[in-house]
Amino acid sequence: MEKIISDLSHHIRLNKGFFLWMGFLGLALIACLYAYIQQLSYGLGVTGMRDVVSWGLYISNFVFFVASSLIGMLISAVLGLIGMKWVHPITRIAETIAVAFAAVAGLVIVMDMGRPERLAYVFMYARFQSPILWDVTVITTYFVISFLLLLLPMIPDLAVLYKRFGNLPGWLKPVYKALSLNWCNLPEQNRIIRRSIYILLILIIPAALSIHTVTSWLFAFTTRSGWDSTIFGPYFVSGAFVAGTAAVIIAMFFFRKNYKLQDYLTDLHFNNMGKVLVLVAFVYLYFNINEYLVPGYKLKRADAVHLRELMSGQFALIFWLVQVCGLLIPIIMMLFRRMRKPLPLTIISAAVLLGAWFKRYLIVIPTMSHPFLPVQHVPENFKVYTPTLTEIAITLLSFILVLIIITLISKFFPVIPIVETANDKGLDPLKSIES
Amino acid sequence: MLLLMVSAAGYLPAQNPGWIVPDDLKSKICPVKFSPEMVKQGEGIYLKNCQSCHGLPTKQNFAAIKPSPGDLSEPRVGTQKDGELFYRISTGKAPMPEFRNILNEDERWSVISFLRSFHKGYVQPDPGKSSSTAGKRIKLLMTYDTAKKRILVKAVELNKEGVQPAKGVGIVLFVQRYFGNMQIADPKTTSESGYAGFDWPRDLPGDKTGNVIVGARESDPTGSMQEAMVIDTLNIGVPTDKPSLTDTRAMWSTRDKAPVWVILIYTLAVITVWYFIIYIILSVLDIRKIKQA
Repeated sequence: MEKIISDLSHHIRLNKGFFLWMGFLGLALIACLYAYIQQLSYGLGVTGMRDVVSWGLYISNFVFFVASSLIGMLISAVLGLIGMKWVHPITRIAETIAVAFAAVAGLVIVMDMGRPERLAYVFMYARFQSPILWDVTVITTYFVISFLLLLLPMIPDLAVLYKRFGNLPGWLKPVYKALSLNWCNLPEQNRIIRRSIYILLILIIPAALSIHTVTSWLFAFTTRSGWDSTIFGPYFVSGAFVAGTAAVIIAMFFFRKNYKLQDYLTDLHFNNMGKVLVLVAFVYLYFNINEYLVPGYKLKRADAVHLRELMSGQFALIFWLVQVCGLLIPIIMMLFRRMRKPLPLTIISAAVLLGAWFKRYLIVIPTMSHPFLPVQHVPENFKVYTPTLTEIAITLLSFILVLIIITLISKFFPVIPIVETANDKGLDPLKSIES
Repeated sequence: MLLLMVSAAGYLPAQNPGWIVPDDLKSKICPVKFSPEMVKQGEGIYLKNCQSCHGLPTKQNFAAIKPSPGDLSEPRVGTQKDGELFYRISTGKAPMPEFRNILNEDERWSVISFLRSFHKGYVQPDPGKSSSTAGKRIKLLMTYDTAKKRILVKAVELNKEGVQPAKGVGIVLFVQRYFGNMQIADPKTTSESGYAGFDWPRDLPGDKTGNVIVGARESDPTGSMQEAMVIDTLNIGVPTDKPSLTDTRAMWSTRDKAPVWVILIYTLAVITVWYFIIYIILSVLDIRKIKQA
């Protein structure tokens, strides 16, 4: 039992690697903040967005972030509630990713605003009919539920570490003390925590489905080709599971290696996560076939222009790379057990995640480039959208923020639930802290 | 290669055949002296109709469209004659709209007076000469014949001998819409007795009480004269009281007119979910108070 506690908490300390990594992130953050200050002073004109393509990198990135955050629900709630014991060590990683991506997704929208100081207007002049209000509401709600689902199961762990873990850095002790809420494993305390987590696990399922369905409605509630689709909700949700599962696998690999968790994140976990990824990727592939074959068979005029641009026009290279290298080949590879070992699975997941990001780009930009009204009398850079360096730097800024949040949470708190892991092995570390 | 360049050179001007003002219209001048009030009125009209593309004069903040609208304070505009500017504003050239039917002559001249205030070294030609070139002055009168359902426009000429019917004057009949005017029937020419008659379309919608703003203006293909015009509100349209699309509760309406079911579902969902969230937060905070029995 001592071994479990020490294995799962020895990374909680300030070391050289941490400072190096955070220093690197901090410098990159400052560089990208400079780009954002440029945008604040000169307006959105510093981006490649113009009248025709008014949703660019930021909105595609926003969709990607919302998608990636959905994984918290799949792992903790869906797999957890149906009693899959093997997900226990992964739940906290999934929730960390959910919290980080959901928190930054809101910021990405602010980054897309030319006048961010008018953010309050979204609420002051909100219309109940507007999917934008629904989106703001569900993302806030999802973030709060995910945050609680990260925090609540951690309370017993924090109590154990606060009372039993001698190496806990001094400055972290007050944080642990405050967050562990005088936990001493009393039946009444256990009852409250268990019931609260149970309610949250049920609540998070509709909340998560809502956030990505509503995000898809921001597109599907228009009549534009490529967005005018009745399956956009489930299409987005299934795509979200692909992106999120891939993100969790990559995170598992890094935590396992850097925090030396080989005994806890085993080949079995990677194997199972690989199977989950195959399943969700298959579902997503099925939705992709529907999404392109159905309009492709009818070829309504505007749809024909859109599909031609995607499949053989300006976006063909990205489109086929995303479909083949980001979905089809990974699915086939992961069908083999050997490919579900940690390293190959992480490499495959990286390809899937990259594909998932570009897939959002393909959902947003080609449709924007082809409005129903002909584009006339405009300069060339209005017709063809090319992201500027400033815009790319601001997009990187959002990724840096996600990495900082994940790093801080995982570095200062146990990545793998301690009490749960011990319980699964028939041990009870809480006995010792009673009273 | 050479052949290609020559043919390209020949092709380019054809693509953009200039904006040629007929010589006789270049000399058209404003019949009155520009005044500060006129400049002020012109500024108002400019801000409403021109600024969205041309930006504010001297600020170089014109719209980034092709062909470029440009800043109208520049010498390229300043060196043109009043008649040229008047013709260009009146006829337009895609994507610039034709303002002939949107602004009346006085309004077009006031916009020019506003632009001239930015043109250094501009001296207005003597308006005295305007009336002499215009030759005669026409006045229009409009009446509605209820029995025959016809609009009668009478043109009269004001000259030294007094008021006389004007024969052979082209008349355009129009009604006012939200933006610009809609021409009714083809232009007519006044008869010996100075009259031009137009059959009134019976199905033309008016406002709630059937009022329509009808106008008749002198159609002057040469544009060399000041155009006479008469505008009147007549109760001859079909009374139309269609509720506005935003009058009732609808998805596209304002917040206050949101459909009840949307408000209910949204509010209920938010209250339910947040009730549980707040309940959980409060009960978890209670954990601190639980002491061993």
